[in-house]
Amino acid sequence: MSDLLTLRHLGKSWFGVPAVSDLSLGVRQGSLLGLIGQNGAGKSTLMNMIGGIVAPSAGDMLWRDKPYRPQSAADASAAGIAFIHQELNLFTNLSVAENMYIDGFPRRMGLIDWRAINERARSILDRLSLDVDPATEVGHLSPGERQLVEIAKALHNEASLLIFDEPTTSLTPRETERLFETIATLRAEGRTIIYISHILGDVKRLADDIAVLRDGQLVDQGPEADFPIPRMIRSMIGRDLGGLFPQRTGQPGDTAVLKARGLTHPGVLKDVSITVRDGEIVGLFGLMGSGRSELARILFGLDPCDQGTVLLNDAELAAGARARIAAGMAFVTENRREEGLMMDATIADNLALVAISEFGRPPLFLIDRDRLLERTEAARQDMSIKAGDISRQPVKALSGGNQQKVVIGKWQLEHPRLFILDEPTRGVDVGAKYEIYTLVDRLAAGGGGILMISSELEELMGVADRIVVMNRGEIMGEFPRGDFDQERILAMSFREQAA
Amino acid sequence: MNTMPARDPAAEVAVSRPSDEPPRPNPRKLVGRLADLVLSDYFVLYMSLAYVAVLAPFLPTLLLPANIVNVMSNMWPLLAVAVGQTFVLAIAGIDLSQGSVVAMTSVIGAALIATVANPVVLSNAPIWGVLIAEDGGLLNGMTGSLLAAILVMIMVAMLIGLLNGAAVAMLNMPAFMVTLVSMITFSALAIYLTQSENIARLPAEYVRLGKGDIVSVYFGAKEESQIARRTIYSFISYPMVIAVSLAIAMHLLLNRTVFGRYVLAIGINRKAAEISGVPVRRIIVTVYMLSAACAAIGALLYSARLEAGRPTLGEGTFLLDVIGAVVIGGTSLFGGKAKILWTFFGVLFFVLLSNTLNLMNLSSFQVDMVKGAVILGAALLDVFRTRLMRERSG
Amino acid sequence: MKPSTDRAFDFAVRNATYLIFACVLLYFGLQSPGFLMPESLANIVKQASFIGIAALGMTFVLLTRGIDLSVGSVMFLAPLIAGFAMREYGLPVWLGFVVAVLAGVVLGGINALFVAWLRVIPFIVTLASLFLFRGFGTWLTSSTQFDFSEDMRSFGLSSVVGIPTPIVIFAIVALIAHIILAHTTFGRQIYAFGNDPEAARKSGINTQWLQARVYVICSVCAAISGFVLIAQIGRLDVAFGEGREFDVIAAAVLGGASLMGGVGSAFGAVVGATLIQTVKLGLVFTGVNLYLQPIMQGIIIFLAVFADGLREKRLLSRLKRTIRPLENA
Repeated sequence: MSDLLTLRHLGKSWFGVPAVSDLSLGVRQGSLLGLIGQNGAGKSTLMNMIGGIVAPSAGDMLWRDKPYRPQSAADASAAGIAFIHQELNLFTNLSVAENMYIDGFPRRMGLIDWRAINERARSILDRLSLDVDPATEVGHLSPGERQLVEIAKALHNEASLLIFDEPTTSLTPRETERLFETIATLRAEGRTIIYISHILGDVKRLADDIAVLRDGQLVDQGPEADFPIPRMIRSMIGRDLGGLFPQRTGQPGDTAVLKARGLTHPGVLKDVSITVRDGEIVGLFGLMGSGRSELARILFGLDPCDQGTVLLNDAELAAGARARIAAGMAFVTENRREEGLMMDATIADNLALVAISEFGRPPLFLIDRDRLLERTEAARQDMSIKAGDISRQPVKALSGGNQQKVVIGKWQLEHPRLFILDEPTRGVDVGAKYEIYTLVDRLAAGGGGILMISSELEELMGVADRIVVMNRGEIMGEFPRGDFDQERILAMSFREQAA
Repeated sequence: MNTMPARDPAAEVAVSRPSDEPPRPNPRKLVGRLADLVLSDYFVLYMSLAYVAVLAPFLPTLLLPANIVNVMSNMWPLLAVAVGQTFVLAIAGIDLSQGSVVAMTSVIGAALIATVANPVVLSNAPIWGVLIAEDGGLLNGMTGSLLAAILVMIMVAMLIGLLNGAAVAMLNMPAFMVTLVSMITFSALAIYLTQSENIARLPAEYVRLGKGDIVSVYFGAKEESQIARRTIYSFISYPMVIAVSLAIAMHLLLNRTVFGRYVLAIGINRKAAEISGVPVRRIIVTVYMLSAACAAIGALLYSARLEAGRPTLGEGTFLLDVIGAVVIGGTSLFGGKAKILWTFFGVLFFVLLSNTLNLMNLSSFQVDMVKGAVILGAALLDVFRTRLMRERSG
Repeated sequence: MKPSTDRAFDFAVRNATYLIFACVLLYFGLQSPGFLMPESLANIVKQASFIGIAALGMTFVLLTRGIDLSVGSVMFLAPLIAGFAMREYGLPVWLGFVVAVLAGVVLGGINALFVAWLRVIPFIVTLASLFLFRGFGTWLTSSTQFDFSEDMRSFGLSSVVGIPTPIVIFAIVALIAHIILAHTTFGRQIYAFGNDPEAARKSGINTQWLQARVYVICSVCAAISGFVLIAQIGRLDVAFGEGREFDVIAAAVLGGASLMGGVGSAFGAVVGATLIQTVKLGLVFTGVNLYLQPIMQGIIIFLAVFADGLREKRLLSRLKRTIRPLENA
């Protein structure tokens, strides 16, 4: 079989720093190529070159054996290449059909032919077995349905190459399953697919061939059969990873740090009680929409809760995040970019934000800048954040893993008693994940309680002392460390999903 | 373990403009120097000086002491108001209502302390008999009346600011619409309260705050000084002391206090600030109150200089002057990037511009056109500057 | 809240502008019954056409998250240029109208150049052009009043099958705006851009060209609205259109356009402008102190924006509920 898309010695540099260099790769007609690599390995730059968003600074591309030089997203789309992005490119104020045809509506007498687009949209949605009216506003759809609409959008102009970039991050397992069925259908229709994901099991299951990027170069490739997961990891990080999780250093104590009792809020939580002891890492597992992030926000006082009490060190807490921070709570949000960091501000400013009010010095309460810098620099070293001058370097110049350490580090200045970590390793690559687990272990060994939320069960099984399972806003049960059983935990998190 | 591409040395360069450092040596020497200059805190000051240097040969009156005094006296009221606007822009808000606050407070302040009032002019006004009557304002002749009047002005302003802030912070209404409404409403109220009449006959101590000298230099024979204003050059005047101390206080507040850090944090990322325990709503309300209070100080300086409370003060191009000066200084409308020093230079440049255009005998509409063009130029410069900065920080 | 009151509140918030409208009509009707006579209602619509036509254009800009502060100056400058052309070359009124529209294209093009291609934020660009355009116009007239020919005035006072021409033009512009926004690719792409500019760019929409056209449309509408009102007056004062940008924005926002982009409609702009004019005329009708009138207007705009905020909040909370379909505990 011939190659549908061929890349020859492709390269791209940003301000002299190569993001992709000398990359040659062929994508066989009708195959599914799994593309893996750590964050910053050059995957997105590569995709942006194929998609016409950035121009390569070296090398060239062939599309159906002819030179291919896209100048814009429209060129790529015209050639028959469609992208399904990680963050969805949908317009919530428009209907499903409008979203599908936004780059060119079928027209009758100069005006949009609504009958035609609704009919065509209907037939494409049927092919994906997505049962929604094409006239529904996208804002009313669930994340999974939106993902399918994004695929429908890619299908309407009969793209022959579909590129999926981390399509499952916001999907429930059920929706993921449906997506994989759809991908199988697409393959049966003879379409070529590039599938990018961090979830190596999925890649192995779907792909015919696997290609690994590291530091902007193609470091390994081959048919799926020759690619066990350890080889994928080894190629991605360039060495063997001793173990995915660090050894626990501390032991959970007996005093309860956090005691939440009977938290109930209509439509969100029902009678949720949870305890975290000192030095204990409690894993909170649940699927998207199980109420785990909502529980975290309620515990931290960001969202209201009708009934129930939250006690920290046996003292009942007042409402509101400020009171809870003052009492010794810390919250690492799942949404680092939007809620965790001030991306344009310096590392020092970010580290100082939570504890800043302690640095006002009488009589005028001006900030003691020397002491502040000293403390933030100490925090940087403590967190081993790899950065230059923290009072000058903006936090957005850091890698995802180091950014996450800044988010954790800014709470460290307050010496909190309880850490609530919501998806602390999301968007962080394999190597940095290990560092974050080490950090979490150290926080616990220091006597703090940790409530760690994750949708990756392996991760919780690796670091937690106890796993609590949530589903539909209720606690379904819990497992002590010796009793971890992947299948039982998953089954519990799925229960009543169909209802 | 770090998988980022090799650390780009340029990433080490500050994202905020280097303030207290000499320009660092750069391999691309000249370009680098130029970039340092453009990114410097003092860029607008350099621009103003260059502007003066270019025009001075053609406008001999420009550098005459009398004109310099004139430029300075135009600066102080605008500075007071612009400093408040800087805080609002720092939280990514906007305050269109400052002009109406100036109008309201100038009227109320003047009404409280006027020494006499003419019933023919004012007896139809709703404030007649309440705040002001034939024998002058309510506070006229009382001890400490001046201070009391100023306090009332500031309190009225802060009440308006409170309304603005509460609507923005608690009701989540867009700042543009909220302050637009209060601009319309309170301008109208100021006019309604006086039935569009000015309130003159203000006590001498009040007027002195708007144009009195503390230190002045005399040229020529001393006995002439009583009549010939042109030969007295005030170097330190009351409005200068008031405006500059306000600016310094606000500078410390923004840059050196916890409050100021909170303000900038909200401007950069409100959600992150909220989660980090910043009392976001309280800060937003306070910022709008501060902005209005600064407008009240501006109103004090303006009305004292005019020797009258005027309900139409702050109309027309006033808003342009305030926002234009702040933005030219380099403060971003998107929040998080603001310095009082920048605003000071922006005000200087803007006042200098108006002054030179007047000296060239241009009419007011030509002045407006040039101001418009300069604002556009400054905005373009900012686009360029942002791009330069991004390039440097990788 | 009980479901029924909940639903009633929902309805009220959703249709706040119309409810306010009804209350305003009712109030003024009770105060002076003559207010609800057909002639005075027609008069309201006729006078609303001025702000209304411009508000239609403003809706386009607001939909893209932009703002155009220069409309008041365009209302002044574009008809002025048309007036000069008519006087110099003896053009008939309809050609003058074409000239005004072309002037609107050019002035809007200047805004578009800076916003779409030089990437300066709309607030600053249009604040600057507000002063540039007015300054230029004042310079053209040498700060005096400009008198139009008698033809112009008879055009302004004419009517088509019994309907005053300004209302006819208002209706035509509204209809065209509605068709563009609701039934063309360009219109739907405006909504898409306002919802998420970055996603719009990635979807292959030419966003610069889209933004540029929006600012041109806004200026053209402002030019037409200025021309239509001046045709009724017959002359152009130096201060014509000054401060009108705020009326226009208020009308568009009253009609449901959001400053955050992506929400709004042509129909809304018509309703918003008519509401503002109703309040203005009603206050005159009932003899409220002249100086108090802007205060009443301010309060009404405030209420509408407030209701808009509530509506958004409820929409968000509703979305949350559908994500987590739990029974009411």
